Amino acid sequence: MAVVKVDKLAKSVAQGPSLMTGSVPMKDWMDVPAVFKPGNYAYPTKPEKLEYLDSQDGVSFPNAREWNPEDDDWKLPEDWKETIIQGLAERLDKFRSLKIFMDCCVRCGACADKCHFFLGTGDPKNMPVLRAELLRSIYRQEFTKAGKIFGRMAGGREMTVGVLKEWFMYAYQCTECRRCSVFCPYGIDTAEITMMLRELLHLVGCGINWAMEPVANSNRTGNHMGLTPQAFKGNVDFLCEDIEGLTGVKIEPTFNRKGAEVLFITPSADVFAEPGLFTCMGYLLLFEAIGLDYTWSTYASEGGNFGLFTSNEMMKKLNGKMYAEAERLGVKWILGGECGHMWRVVHQYMDTMNGPADFLEVPKSPITGTVFENAASTKMVHISEFTADLIKHNKITLDKSRNAHVKATFHDSCNPARAMGLLEEPRYVLSHVVDEWHEMPENTIREKTFCCGSGTALNTDEIMELRMRSGLPRANAVKHVFDKHAINTLACVCAIDRATLTTLMDYWVPEVTVAGVSELVGNALVIEGEKRQELAEGLRTLLF
Amino acid sequence: MNLIEALRQKRDKILALWVERTLDSYISSGFFKQSRDKFANPVGTNIQEGLTTLFDMLVKGAAAREYAGALDQVIRIRAVQEFSPAQAVAPILELKWVIKQVFSTDKECKLLLPELDSFDCDVDRAALAAFDLYMECRDRLHNARIRELKSGSYILTDSSCASAAIKQNLQDFSQMS
Repeated sequence: MAVVKVDKLAKSVAQGPSLMTGSVPMKDWMDVPAVFKPGNYAYPTKPEKLEYLDSQDGVSFPNAREWNPEDDDWKLPEDWKETIIQGLAERLDKFRSLKIFMDCCVRCGACADKCHFFLGTGDPKNMPVLRAELLRSIYRQEFTKAGKIFGRMAGGREMTVGVLKEWFMYAYQCTECRRCSVFCPYGIDTAEITMMLRELLHLVGCGINWAMEPVANSNRTGNHMGLTPQAFKGNVDFLCEDIEGLTGVKIEPTFNRKGAEVLFITPSADVFAEPGLFTCMGYLLLFEAIGLDYTWSTYASEGGNFGLFTSNEMMKKLNGKMYAEAERLGVKWILGGECGHMWRVVHQYMDTMNGPADFLEVPKSPITGTVFENAASTKMVHISEFTADLIKHNKITLDKSRNAHVKATFHDSCNPARAMGLLEEPRYVLSHVVDEWHEMPENTIREKTFCCGSGTALNTDEIMELRMRSGLPRANAVKHVFDKHAINTLACVCAIDRATLTTLMDYWVPEVTVAGVSELVGNALVIEGEKRQELAEGLRTLLF
Repeated sequence: MNLIEALRQKRDKILALWVERTLDSYISSGFFKQSRDKFANPVGTNIQEGLTTLFDMLVKGAAAREYAGALDQVIRIRAVQEFSPAQAVAPILELKWVIKQVFSTDKECKLLLPELDSFDCDVDRAALAAFDLYMECRDRLHNARIRELKSGSYILTDSSCASAAIKQNLQDFSQMS
């Protein structure tokens, strides 16, 4: 199969005299090596984190060492090449989808201009087709007859240290957002190709700390932050004190309570960091308002699963913890907070990894009686589905005027939108809690939504410039609704979004702040017996 | 024909070459040049819009604050891409070269080349404003890093576990007393 199209797609049309600064690129992409410099790569995993993870059952993370991507020598193990080729062979055998993705791409280019990394950088290796080609070229060389005989002529390429470095560069310039997949006529899930690239890199000890330390923390204490059970409980209690001060509503949540009807799991960032804290206050108020029989768990204290960005074994292990805890506590079903990739893991992988969760019941709202058939297998309901159902049945009282300070737009978080089809529910909730909100342009929302640019553990500060350029397509659409309708709030349903869009807005559209949908619900909620202060900025209001 | 009339007459040609050369600084610039969809192609359309407005403003003799928005459209993007500071703002200065290029191919316009000095000064002023803006963007970027670090997310990577920290605190306390 010829590969001329890829070359054509990536060919720069740069001609004529170069700028004095030398910024006009004159080389073909194949001849441009990956150059690591401060700001364009995330820091490698700390050896002690990798050693700890490698010592754990069910996962393997060998070759822990100090190394620097900027150095020529990455201190790779001697047999690194055999390890990579063997690792690829095993994965081609284990995952039929990978084999199909390697073979079926016709290089039509439909995905090429859909990636936010490509749109922000103009770097052809950020075209999903070409990013996949970085792996596919090795696959051809090693695993296809044509590639073995004709090599480069058949699109094959020898596995070299240069290729490995290219992998590390571009596997971490993909947020696995899956926007490209929406446009692929063959349904190739490029995110899964990135996942494979990252798995292969882990075989030779090349990973990033911002992924691996949260994974290590989650494995050890149950959450990304490494919060101990008492610290986790302390933070939630602290939020309850704040709520009481603001609204006069006294909330006494329970932790690790056996026999509760529902286990509630949300990203730990919600209990720990702004602006997620306000979203968490929204959950607490909502559950209090409806008298939900629920419990938190200090062990399953993390909705996020950075295993998804690491290896399938790690993802399985971290996901299994949530279900093990649900079984231990004897709850009927699980209610999940505003998280992004947790929902991708639950909807697309949980069932075959750890399911079916037969020890739980098909979720049924104790307030409305609605049975969530869509969650019949995973037994896990999204907070927006749950809240929308409460509103639909008039089970909560909402006063939009309490959000008078908010004029919103809504960002579809990649994973809830594309991996579970959660498109209408958050919009329905938003329409009931704020007076005015406006959609961003059609080709930037719903299943075509643009990523925040910092997902898959790329939300680290050392790659701030990279995050800003990959987030440009999202920010550009927000700027449009800001210019047109003077919106001041970007609502979303993902913890990584809440953190990273805040920074993204600060650079591109500083007039806009970021809020979780549940925060806006909490603002508008009218609760019996409340003694609410004058809250000009809702739950964010500082009282003195 | 005076200089301003000539600049207006050659507007489309000048802009086409200017935008083309600016977008040539991206490795794979074909899509940036072709797509007119503002949301599918934010780099290409913002740079095109920004440079167009900037040119019209300069021809009009507008003050720096009037074209600040147009400059922002171009520089805010280039300040976070993989350009050196000089490369990021070079397109603004490039306008002088572009105009001379376009004028040289026209008999009438060629005669106006010596009169470009004053217009060139205006372009230089815009380039200096672009440097200021570039620095403002970089400062904002660094402040964002500091804010993220201060907001506590550093605990994700640099803290010990809470119980170990408490133990350490107690040890420190007992040593003090």
